[in-house]
Amino acid sequence: MKVKGIGIPVLDQDRALKFYTEKLGFVKKHDVPVSDGNRWLTVVAKEEQEGTEILLEPSPNNFEPAKVFQKALKDAGIPYTQFDVHNVQEEYERLVNLHVNFSVKPIIMGTVKIAVFDDTCGNNIQIVEML
Amino acid sequence: MTFYEAEIKRIQKICYSNDKQINTVVATRNFIYNNFEKELNLDYLSHIHFTSKYHLLRLFKRYYGITPKQYLIIRRLEKAKEYLKNGMSVSEACYNVGFETPSSFSTLFKNKIGLSPIEFQKEQLSQNDSHKYFITCANKKMKNES
Repeated sequence: MKVKGIGIPVLDQDRALKFYTEKLGFVKKHDVPVSDGNRWLTVVAKEEQEGTEILLEPSPNNFEPAKVFQKALKDAGIPYTQFDVHNVQEEYERLVNLHVNFSVKPIIMGTVKIAVFDDTCGNNIQIVEML
Repeated sequence: MTFYEAEIKRIQKICYSNDKQINTVVATRNFIYNNFEKELNLDYLSHIHFTSKYHLLRLFKRYYGITPKQYLIIRRLEKAKEYLKNGMSVSEACYNVGFETPSSFSTLFKNKIGLSPIEFQKEQLSQNDSHKYFITCANKKMKNES
């Protein structure tokens, strides 16, 4: 078995695609209509386009428990997932300039530096830099 | 303050209050990161940080979850992948990242990456070719449209 993709629940796929490509810098990989306006929508890192795909899945709008779970994590400030970055401080400053809201500003946790932002689609996302 | 922020502060106090230990392991990791191609061993790494080798081993494993040697291998393979992607030969990549023999390098590479260095390089080159092909097609399409 191999890990080829991870899923992130999003409240609005159009909005998510815009945020993950225009603000975070990911690149759209697959965009396939499924049914009822839902799409199999994936993005990948620009530097690793054959790497792990992020599926921006519309589960909160199609499965009530997914919506409840997503909201519970969001309200508690818990990140749904995390991405590696080369420099958390630089990425924080870049995203703040793009009007992205951070709930946790860059902070050192032992051997990593982290920060947490709002993806505007119902999730907190953590960025991590190994020190 | 959210639940997560409170947890961060709680865990910081419990697990990451010893700055001296953290500075030692972070400096060790950075040293390995920047000197991966050199002959590195625990004696040498502990000597430059004025600590005993078993203490350094324990600390590194405690804070990073792996040993310095495991981290060195990860770093060397990461760099070898980069060299192979850029077209370097397998033996050159092997010596440039600090492995002593191409056979041990190839065996380790296959174990960790799932492909031999040659197979990995071929796969990368074919991906680059198809990527170039798509770019060329997209450019032609844009020219035709304008």
